[in-house]
Amino acid sequence: MKFGVLTAFAMTAVAAFVGTPLPAAAQLKVAVIENLSGPGSATNRLFAVGMKNGLTLVNKAGGWKGQPIEYLEYDSQGSSSVAADKVRAAIADGAHILVSGGSSAVAGQIVEDVRKQNLRNPDRRVIFMNVGAEASDFTGEKCNFYSFKYAMNAEIRVKALVTAMKAAGALGDRVFSINQNYSWGKDMEAAITRYAGPMGYTVVDKVLHDVSKVQDFSPYVARIKSSNASTVITGNWGSDLILLVKEIGASGLKVQLGSTFLELPGTLSSAGASTLGYYTADFYLPEAGGAAAKALFDRYKAIAGTLPTTSEVKSVVMAQMLQAALANVELGPKVDTTKIALALEKAKVQTPIGEISMRAADHQAAVPLVVSVVSKDASFKVDGTDMGFKPVKVIPGPEAISAVQETCKMDRPS
Amino acid sequence: MKWLAIAAATIGLLLVPVLFGDRFVFVFIQMLTASLFALAFNLLWRHTRLLSFGHAAHFGAGMFATIHLMRLAEANVLAVPLPLIPLGGALAACLLGVVAGYFATVRTGTYFAMITLAVAELIYALGSQWEALFGGEAGLSSMRLPWAGWTFATTGEVYYIVLGWVVPAAAALYFVGLTPLGRLAFAIGDDETRVRFLGYNAHRAKTMVFALSAFHAGLAGGLLALVNENVNYGAFGGTVSASVVLHTFIGGSGVFLGPVIGAAGLTLLGALLSDVTRLWLLYVGAAFVLMMLYSPEGLAALFIANLRLWRELPWPSLVRLNLLGGLAVLAFVCTTVFVVELAARALTEGASATAVVLFGTTWSLSSPVTWAIPIALALAGHVALKAAIRQRRRLEDAVA
Repeated sequence: MKFGVLTAFAMTAVAAFVGTPLPAAAQLKVAVIENLSGPGSATNRLFAVGMKNGLTLVNKAGGWKGQPIEYLEYDSQGSSSVAADKVRAAIADGAHILVSGGSSAVAGQIVEDVRKQNLRNPDRRVIFMNVGAEASDFTGEKCNFYSFKYAMNAEIRVKALVTAMKAAGALGDRVFSINQNYSWGKDMEAAITRYAGPMGYTVVDKVLHDVSKVQDFSPYVARIKSSNASTVITGNWGSDLILLVKEIGASGLKVQLGSTFLELPGTLSSAGASTLGYYTADFYLPEAGGAAAKALFDRYKAIAGTLPTTSEVKSVVMAQMLQAALANVELGPKVDTTKIALALEKAKVQTPIGEISMRAADHQAAVPLVVSVVSKDASFKVDGTDMGFKPVKVIPGPEAISAVQETCKMDRPS
Repeated sequence: MKWLAIAAATIGLLLVPVLFGDRFVFVFIQMLTASLFALAFNLLWRHTRLLSFGHAAHFGAGMFATIHLMRLAEANVLAVPLPLIPLGGALAACLLGVVAGYFATVRTGTYFAMITLAVAELIYALGSQWEALFGGEAGLSSMRLPWAGWTFATTGEVYYIVLGWVVPAAAALYFVGLTPLGRLAFAIGDDETRVRFLGYNAHRAKTMVFALSAFHAGLAGGLLALVNENVNYGAFGGTVSASVVLHTFIGGSGVFLGPVIGAAGLTLLGALLSDVTRLWLLYVGAAFVLMMLYSPEGLAALFIANLRLWRELPWPSLVRLNLLGGLAVLAFVCTTVFVVELAARALTEGASATAVVLFGTTWSLSSPVTWAIPIALALAGHVALKAAIRQRRRLEDAVA
């Protein structure tokens, strides 16, 4: 430390003697803290892969006013305790922006750590960019000026899903809500109930079941049958979605299904033809984005070797949002994260399916959604199957975004 | 000699925040809490031979109770000095330990393990569903409040709270073994029927040991919660229960400080390795399997056996034995790491991969050099191992 001060002093003295050259601009460091080795890392790590390639694309396009942005990567192992350690490691390594998306548990730790870091070290504030953790708390009770949520939430997904399904005449008037019994499933159930009135359906029955533990969905399917529902809406993911869809298919029940995570890698290939005709709502580009999406995908493939998955695309778009914000921030000898945060609030990016912007009140991004139907006519086939997602309706960001939660009390820098 | 080592270790631990930066102080904190957790777990196993597969329940109970107390303090409902708050976590875990222990210790062996597993699963399931108490997926958080001129804003200050709890708690766990209860627990581990025949209430003794173990596990959890200032129901997860078993047995359950070696070593390894290679869990798993196969008593037992030899045998021959053994292990570790990392990288790049970047160099998959390196390393390891075994035989013959 002493040596560092002395050297800096000597260098300043030399610089003053030689003449005053422009101070070198500090490099912006973005640290991804993601589950790279724990359970579920196969899907979670895609956010990290996408961010790495997204920053490569951004740097090719000039980075921050010509200066490249550095990418750092940390393994949260899917545990919030480990994530707490990695947040400190990332900050010690000089990170200015933290990125995570795979898990709301890990994001919950990072949001809090960022809040405390910024309170305790006002001269070393960091920003958190949440690319995929969808818990609604992050823009509610846990909302924070330095935390930005580019992920959606249950309400955004359900609103888009039922709007598009109604317009396509696929909604029916009797909806069965089946979800996983934890905060996400409960958020979904609340949203499905909330939109019953405005969208003109009744929720005939609601079920919350254990997460990733149910092996046999036949009792639930029997319940769906006896409720005489026309449509099932679910926020299930992974095995809970795959097994539910397969069981409905096997029972021969004629029912429509709306979901939120059909596009996760492996879902279509595992659930098979039972998914045909079912709806899903997500930020999903390939077909709806047309030529612009194809251009983005080609650029991505040129550096990554493969076409991006939805999670990767979300990271890439978030990297573009960062670049758009940085265009309005001056380079300097020190990275001013407060200025970057203010710029992030105003940044807008034109994606192939519409504009993404950030709402300053609670830092929830207005993300356009594509509601699509599983079909054999889709131009992009998924998972090596003959099926893909055919877009039905694109919901623009400002229409899709949910209302600001009353619990969000954000302290803005004065 | 023993006291000298303890004094040196204490001074070393006290100096950690002075010597290291925040990042490593934080790793040290995690090593300390993991060590206390493993020691608490081993109180149950080493004495009463009760193998708990659900100790995360108590660790997590300590975390949640601590966070709730911190939140109450933050809301000005409760005025407790911050350094004392983890004690509340320990008490909550102890309470759970009395209840869970009362039922679980009716049985021993596999049935006991299943009951503890079930209790942990039950609480995990409850954790995911009862949002008011456990905060849902995003978890509960709080912030450390200043006390007596300390702000507890830096990791260094928190480190001293953790150290101040862990060292006495570890000492307490050691001395429990010397009390009548500890002796009785040892006897129960040996032969419970005989203990009962002697007129002791074995069930009550086991419940007490279980509750003591839960208390210390809860204290470890409470300290971690104090440091993280955040907790979610993942704290009750199976990986937490499994890691404490792994730590204890790799470290050595037969020696008091064995679990500390395992917990501190593996936590450090996890912190350092997980950012370097995604396969670090594979290596830990392999180490565990090898440990169970060739040295089921753990690292500490290996160390102690070696220490005994140093007293009995001429040291030049022992230096040779250890050098040869160390070389063999090093060579095999290098071979495995090289081949596994190469294979993993080649597989992620797909079938068309011809060259792989590893350790800052590009390795052509078709070049004989790439494959000659691990083969040569393995051969060298084999030769060193053979020599080590021969040396050991010679020493054994000399003793006999």
